[in-house]
Amino acid sequence: MSSRLARILTTVFILAVVLLPIYWLVSTSLKSNREITQEGTLYPHVPTLDNYIRLFTEKQFGSYLTNSLVVTFFSVAIALIVGAMGAYAIARFRLPFAAERKVGLFLLTLRIIPPVVILIPVYLLMLSLGLLDSWLGLIATYTAFNVTFCVWMMESFFREIPVDLEEAAMVDGDSRFGAFRRITLPLAAPGLAATAIFAVLVTFNEFLFALALTATPRAMTMPRGTATLIGRIDTDWASMAAAGVIGALPIVFFALLVQRHLVRGLTMGAVK
Amino acid sequence: MQGATQARRYRLQGAGLDLALPYLMLAPGLMIVLGVLVYPLWDGLRASTRVYRYGSPVADAGFQNYLHLWSDAQFLNALWVTVKFVALSVSFEAVLGFALALFCLHEFRGIRLLRTVLIIPMVITPVVVAIVFRLIYASDAGMLTALSNAMGGGEVQILGNPLNAFIGLVVLDVWEWTPLMFLILLAGLQSLPHEPFEAARVDGAGAWRVFADLTFPMMRPVLAVAIVLRAIDAFGTFDQVFVLTRGGPGEATRLISIYGYDTAFKFQQTGYAAALFVTIGLVVLALAFSAIRLLRRIDAS
Repeated sequence: MSSRLARILTTVFILAVVLLPIYWLVSTSLKSNREITQEGTLYPHVPTLDNYIRLFTEKQFGSYLTNSLVVTFFSVAIALIVGAMGAYAIARFRLPFAAERKVGLFLLTLRIIPPVVILIPVYLLMLSLGLLDSWLGLIATYTAFNVTFCVWMMESFFREIPVDLEEAAMVDGDSRFGAFRRITLPLAAPGLAATAIFAVLVTFNEFLFALALTATPRAMTMPRGTATLIGRIDTDWASMAAAGVIGALPIVFFALLVQRHLVRGLTMGAVK
Repeated sequence: MQGATQARRYRLQGAGLDLALPYLMLAPGLMIVLGVLVYPLWDGLRASTRVYRYGSPVADAGFQNYLHLWSDAQFLNALWVTVKFVALSVSFEAVLGFALALFCLHEFRGIRLLRTVLIIPMVITPVVVAIVFRLIYASDAGMLTALSNAMGGGEVQILGNPLNAFIGLVVLDVWEWTPLMFLILLAGLQSLPHEPFEAARVDGAGAWRVFADLTFPMMRPVLAVAIVLRAIDAFGTFDQVFVLTRGGPGEATRLISIYGYDTAFKFQQTGYAAALFVTIGLVVLALAFSAIRLLRRIDAS
């Protein structure tokens, strides 16, 4: 009996540690600045949605959201297509210099180097291409990051699918590429989904490159726009909190929706 | 057996247009990676040996930029702060994550809710995590001050005080990333074989003995991988500090990434910043690969 009580208390304690900070964010976003600084209330006594309305009417949060969705969608979609093909080529074919066996190490090396290391040259590259502060510049950058990750994840999924199935399809008259597209790709769909989910998460949340590569609401993403807003308004706590809620809501909602795949993708690399 | 599947795999390459297929499939990805990752890496190496003014190279510097790093007190301080930050955060995350995973190993009511809730901190945008903690730490409007007021205390100073700000940053990181450690270690615990544990139970071994003699030794590889992965990530931490403290007060929370960013974009010392980043990249790679080699040796023995 006492061990059950201890278990319940521990669970409640963990929930409180995780959820209290989030409660405070949401509750602050529903207060007025006067209530926040002068009354110091623990919950909103006069709840208001003004802070949220101001974000969209005065602070261009509509553009940030659009930019984030466009950039995330295209960079993940392109990386998935390109990455799945590349991963398949490595998993199934023999390449000159046994390159298919070295790609893994090459991608691992690229993944270990902190992204901040190539921040300056990528900035200079986009500057020289005239792609600063544009969707295209961000999409190109994020696609490259996502491709390395997609190839790395997808290769192992393809290896698990037996070659016999493709052979059978080719005997039945499929081309080599047709066998990949009609047989292997659908079988690897769960792996593709886990890869896509993880890529969406990382891309939507990315801040460092968005900070260096964008400068106006034309291309600023959600994290970038949010950080700019709070850089300007040091004491407008209410707007800051509302921006935090709006900035996190899409991705938290998405993550909870696809929870099961997400946990698989997050933990697979380490346990394997 | 291996040879037979290999041979079949190669026969599948077929003839005619199909011969080019592997290259056609590989080409788009390769082009993107070469253009946007590998070329910049090379370009960064080149930039690190030059002196820049207003964004364009004006002189060759040879290895001067690299040598200068080691007499730059701000660089050395940033490196030290980063090492402290990584060591402290990752240790707490490993211990807490392990404890949580052991706690959640046995099914009980409420465990699904607990797992769902634990996903939230690590998926929230890091910039927003920093906002959350600014709202907790703020001396005038923060949660800590509000709680302290409700209990009759006064203002709580976190971000204005060097030591407190650093601890505050570690707390943020532990809050955000313990769940990842927990998920990895839980998956590891669930994949352990049952037999040794049943044998131990039959022998009447106590909980502590089972942990010290069975669970911990068997979990060591997974634990090591989780720690290495997390440490690599923590080394590059940027977003949270940028929004929470911007490196301050003074240099108390100025991690290496923040110092590099400021050197490049605030002080416009492009070549020097490039050398700094190349050095960081090499340090992280060296640490990661020696960790991997160490792991292989543990695995082999």
